[in-house]
Amino acid sequence: MTFNESFNQISPSEFFYRNRDLAGFSNPTRSIYTSVRELVENSLDACDQNRILPNIYVTIQPTQQQKSDPKHYILTVDDNGPGIDHNHIPLAFGTVLYGSKFGLNQARGMFGLGATMAILYGQITTNKPVRVNSSIDGSNRHEYEILLDIQKNKPIIIKHSITSTKKKGLSISICLEGDYSKAGSKIRDYIYQTSLITPYASIKFHDPKGNKYNYERITKFIPSSPTIIKPHPYGIDVETLRRMISDTSYKISNVDNLMIARIKNELKMRGDVHNNYVVMKQTIKKRWPYLSSQTKTILSILLCLKLNFNQLVKIKIESIDIARNTLTYWNYEKSKSFVTQLNISSFYYKHLANEFKGDTLETFLTKQFQRVGRHTAEKFTEFAHFRPGKRIMLMTNQELVHLSDSLQKFSEFLSPDPSCLAPLGENLLEKGIAKFFNPDFVSVVQRKASAYSGFPFIVEMGVAYGGSIVNGIKLYRFANRIPLLYDESSDVVFKVINDIDWNRYKIKNESPLVIISHICSTRIPYKTVGKENVADRNEIERELKLALQFLSRKLSSYMSKKGKAAMEKKRVNLYFTYMPLIARFCTELSEKLKEPNYKKIFNELK
Amino acid sequence: MKYKENKNRILSDLLKKYGARIYNDLDNGIFPKFLIPSRSTRNIIYDKKLRQYVLGNNASMRNSKNILQLRSFTQLVWLAFFANRLIKEQKSSTLRDIYYSSQAFSIDFEDQPESDNIIVDLESVLSRPREDLHIFPEERSSVFGDLVIEYTVPGYEGKRTNLSDHPDGYLIGPSLSSAELIETSADLVIAIEKGGLFTRFIEEKVDKKFKSIIIDTAGQAPRSTRYLLRRLHDELKLPVVILTDGDVYGEHIAMVIKSGSANAAHLRELTVPDAKWLGVWASDIEKYKLPTIPMTESDIKRIHDLKKDPRYQHGIWKTELDVFLKIKRKAELEAFSKYGLTNITDKYLPQKLELAKSL
Repeated sequence: MTFNESFNQISPSEFFYRNRDLAGFSNPTRSIYTSVRELVENSLDACDQNRILPNIYVTIQPTQQQKSDPKHYILTVDDNGPGIDHNHIPLAFGTVLYGSKFGLNQARGMFGLGATMAILYGQITTNKPVRVNSSIDGSNRHEYEILLDIQKNKPIIIKHSITSTKKKGLSISICLEGDYSKAGSKIRDYIYQTSLITPYASIKFHDPKGNKYNYERITKFIPSSPTIIKPHPYGIDVETLRRMISDTSYKISNVDNLMIARIKNELKMRGDVHNNYVVMKQTIKKRWPYLSSQTKTILSILLCLKLNFNQLVKIKIESIDIARNTLTYWNYEKSKSFVTQLNISSFYYKHLANEFKGDTLETFLTKQFQRVGRHTAEKFTEFAHFRPGKRIMLMTNQELVHLSDSLQKFSEFLSPDPSCLAPLGENLLEKGIAKFFNPDFVSVVQRKASAYSGFPFIVEMGVAYGGSIVNGIKLYRFANRIPLLYDESSDVVFKVINDIDWNRYKIKNESPLVIISHICSTRIPYKTVGKENVADRNEIERELKLALQFLSRKLSSYMSKKGKAAMEKKRVNLYFTYMPLIARFCTELSEKLKEPNYKKIFNELK
Repeated sequence: MKYKENKNRILSDLLKKYGARIYNDLDNGIFPKFLIPSRSTRNIIYDKKLRQYVLGNNASMRNSKNILQLRSFTQLVWLAFFANRLIKEQKSSTLRDIYYSSQAFSIDFEDQPESDNIIVDLESVLSRPREDLHIFPEERSSVFGDLVIEYTVPGYEGKRTNLSDHPDGYLIGPSLSSAELIETSADLVIAIEKGGLFTRFIEEKVDKKFKSIIIDTAGQAPRSTRYLLRRLHDELKLPVVILTDGDVYGEHIAMVIKSGSANAAHLRELTVPDAKWLGVWASDIEKYKLPTIPMTESDIKRIHDLKKDPRYQHGIWKTELDVFLKIKRKAELEAFSKYGLTNITDKYLPQKLELAKSL
């Protein structure tokens, strides 16, 4: 992807440098935590996408042990993922750009920006280069030391060497200012909870104090990966719509010598006859029905502009405005744009115009959106008062707004396709919970996919009770397999848990209970940019509530079974307490000498 | 056979019978159980023949197999066992004693109301008042008059006392309740609601002037007092008259002595159906021009409650209740003092006793 120069007054690096607070780099405590998070999530995403069982090794070492916090630390995250081609490394780590994660599927990070932000943060606090080691083949290992030129948004390669290795994967070391004494507990929580929600990963963490936290892989089963899908009509705004339309518009291929040779071949022309405009015009007319549509378009441009092939390779068509009958092209020789008025009565212009009107609305809807068929498209155009044959390129601004509004309002679209989501699955979630909490009781549920505003989502939830769990209700929140550690009380899950009447399920405040909630979506509706709490969208709240109620009922029936067993035990004990007393009293009352043989009564109790 | 010995023997036999039943059940591997007459308001009915409230036929099963009843079952058996010892050893105890004594036998009552309730259960099962089981409430009512009694309690067996020997009267406690009634010169028993008037009556020698035994009920008559009244009537054939304050509560004190209370519907022999209420009647307030106090809301509510009671549907019980409701005023026994301290004994009492003959 390239940047339009006119919009690039400041470089992206500079923009993020100036706005680093937004991305979670506001202070040394938060920054070291965010850096760990971004790098670990990048590694896990890379492994997931390549279906590799992740081995992640995180270390944080101070550069000077004695100094007090905040101080410089070297953060290293090492993975066994696919690695990155060494040609891409300087660009990937030495520039801030829109990353590769822009499709509509569920991933931990959204744009792949976080890691670069961490590198940028490290550089501005310590002025040290980032070290990147990568191997994509498991034999050659490329080592880079890179600095960022913030103003120019370009990498400066300090060092590049190649060594041999036996391991594929990527290792990134950042020297950054951090406050581990304050951030430590959050980082440890993060590693712990990430291991819980990623039971197929092995994650090791060695902290600055020499403590080692090893979370072994619990299962070798990787949940199925999400597919990239087309957008759903509900999730579309006018701007996105405009972009989609322009993406589908007719593309004028670059005219190069190869292309010209092909055209000549189609026209069955020999030698340089084509330089004669009149001859060529006749030839084209004669051969027209046999030409390919691409050739037809290029030749239509050629004839409308009255050019020959030699002239054609020297220009680049920029745009064709059907409404105003103008064509804009760039002349390489003169380095200048030209606008030409076109003759609307010309046969070739008519052909060109027809090509550039774009798809019909009906075709556009069925081709560009998920789960819209011909039948739904027809119903929709009727609902929105559009002709199904309406050409999308000819739509006015007003019509686009109306189209976008109508897409939101039409109620008969099928709900979004959840195949782009990657929930963990009940089995893996349960395994993780059982291993981590060693409870007496565990139950998990995965709700059916639902959607809010056109974004599909799936809620997974688990509860664990008793066993090694300490008293008090504890909540673990996850979104797209990321632990959410801050601002618990403003999260929708917290609200749902608080709203539930626990007495109905025989649960007390001090019960040893753990609740794990996992929301998967192509877009998690976070309340803040810090991505720590999920907003209370009705649809999500409803799914969370149903999941929690389902699990609470399971728990409650377990509890009453347990209660019954305890009661039964108590019951038998009561007989053992009271029967001897009754025997003693009635013996004296009845003036018998010997107590009755009451013990056989206990046989009846089973 | 003397009264008390007879009663104790019957009771002992009864307890032994119940004990044997439980013993045999246990010995046969059966969970023991017994029926307890229900004391719920639905099962309390007025028996016109007996002229008192009695329990109906509803009964609930107390089964030791039922885990919810096992504890109270054991408590009940313990109480029978403990009462049996009291009877055999001729000892008495109070309601509070019972609550504490239980702890020596690993029987835990949560509080005294729980143990009191078990005592009523046992009364219901045996149809005998707790006093027969040597369990007494801590209540103070007194008796005075020419009546010779013979104690049966240990250490006093055969000892006789005349109840006119002490000018404060005699406390109606366990030893007096269990004493034999030997002889009396009295023709009448006067039960009076208030201790102050009881003392006045002794000072004014009402016992001699009217050949009577005077009993202070100290408000609502305790069971032991009602029991003594019954015995004076049954054994010595003395008529019983009752003097109370001139209000709805006074009227009901007289009624309870006459025909019992709903609370004791499971017991017999606590009533004196022939007892007569002398006053102060509602109509006396007007007639004797007594100083009065206005009735409170709760007084009036009580009148309406009693008007539903089958015993208040006829005779003076009904007419006086209606007058109270009409005048909405009440008068205490002391109100007669307005006309001199002896007015009540000199004027009112003789007139009312004369009138009572025709009741």
